[in-house]
Amino acid sequence: MANYYDLDDILMEEEYVTVHFKFEAKGLGVLDPGSEHDDIEAGAVVDIPLWLAHDLCLRKFVSIKLPSFYNERIRKEIQADASCVDLGRYCPYFYELGLRLAPISPDPTLGSFLLYCLQGRYKDMLCKAHTVALTTAPKFLNLLTREETQLFEAARDSVKSYNKWRFQGARLERAAVLGRKRRLNALLSPFELT
Amino acid sequence: MEHVTAVVELLYQFGVNSMAGRASTELESSFFSGAEVEFLAEDDMVVIVPSLRMDTLHLICGDFGPFMPQVPASVPLWLGIAMKKRGKCRLRAPEWMSVENLTQVLELERESSQEFQPLPFHYVEVSRLLLDNARDDLVDVYMVQTLIEDIRNVRFHKVQTGLQTLSGKTHAVKLKNLGAMEVSLIRPFFVKALEKFYVHDNEELVQPSQGETDTPLASVDRHPRRVLRPR
Repeated sequence: MANYYDLDDILMEEEYVTVHFKFEAKGLGVLDPGSEHDDIEAGAVVDIPLWLAHDLCLRKFVSIKLPSFYNERIRKEIQADASCVDLGRYCPYFYELGLRLAPISPDPTLGSFLLYCLQGRYKDMLCKAHTVALTTAPKFLNLLTREETQLFEAARDSVKSYNKWRFQGARLERAAVLGRKRRLNALLSPFELT
Repeated sequence: MEHVTAVVELLYQFGVNSMAGRASTELESSFFSGAEVEFLAEDDMVVIVPSLRMDTLHLICGDFGPFMPQVPASVPLWLGIAMKKRGKCRLRAPEWMSVENLTQVLELERESSQEFQPLPFHYVEVSRLLLDNARDDLVDVYMVQTLIEDIRNVRFHKVQTGLQTLSGKTHAVKLKNLGAMEVSLIRPFFVKALEKFYVHDNEELVQPSQGETDTPLASVDRHPRRVLRPR
């Protein structure tokens, strides 16, 4: 799924995830800014980037604790009105991160929650994306996550290019040099200063 | 005009569709812009009434002519427009561009909320080209222009309401009688949306059956408590 060259993918993997170390880890104190030793003790709770947490979890060194924005409170908010929740503030890669966490997290409902959330928000976005004013940045753009923003921009760009095609004036663009009158004498004597 | 009743399919199946595997930037460049769709539309045939005598034109797309003054001939739209610009012919509006027909289509569009009326595949582009280049040859120009704009708006609204039902189970959407410009307008958004739904739904298969049966988690019931009024 991950695309090596995808910038969003790289940024998404930088998101911090809280993990629970199952074993003592020698010399990994650097991972925990608050630690006083060189080692991480068994049972320590540390924030590490997803790319590291993912691999450590697959090797069963750590167990993942879901980030706070997948908790019960947010889920209730999404149930109430999905499109009003400011997911972009919680995590710009809400869906992608969730997708990566779903197979390794202890909570089996995460995947279905994400789908439910996407469905709820998609409907609202569909209505707004093609009709919203083209010139100003709409307010609800701040509520969207990165993935949703891309979706929204795709729709807006297509409407924009359609309108450009529909209402454009002249078909042929005039080269900038054509309309201008040239001063003949300027060409004749380059040294003459007038 | 063999694609008058063309069936447009916004087919999207992961792994089947060639676009599926591409990176998103490549995906965007594979969409048509308005000008490109217009270019394709220029191959549609129109009837012109020449005002000059000219021999048959042997073109790659076929032979056209010979042209006699006041004898209607059928040529591609681009050729018709080129001749019109030089004042060598008059363009004749296609039958579907009459006010009566368009009014009827608009009414039918408004009545049926599910299906689209059959219009030429390139109706948006052809009408625009004719209205721009051959205004003096058409009758009721403003009426036609307004009607076509109305029809397009009604149809677009219909597309939107229809596609609100998109869910994780949707892998392809079939929209009969949709025009080329309408497809290219909604394609970027819907291809992306379908892709998102596909990914999320695929991940689903990990979840539902494997849940422990002892205590259902509170988050499992994710439906609203009360029956809400549909908006």
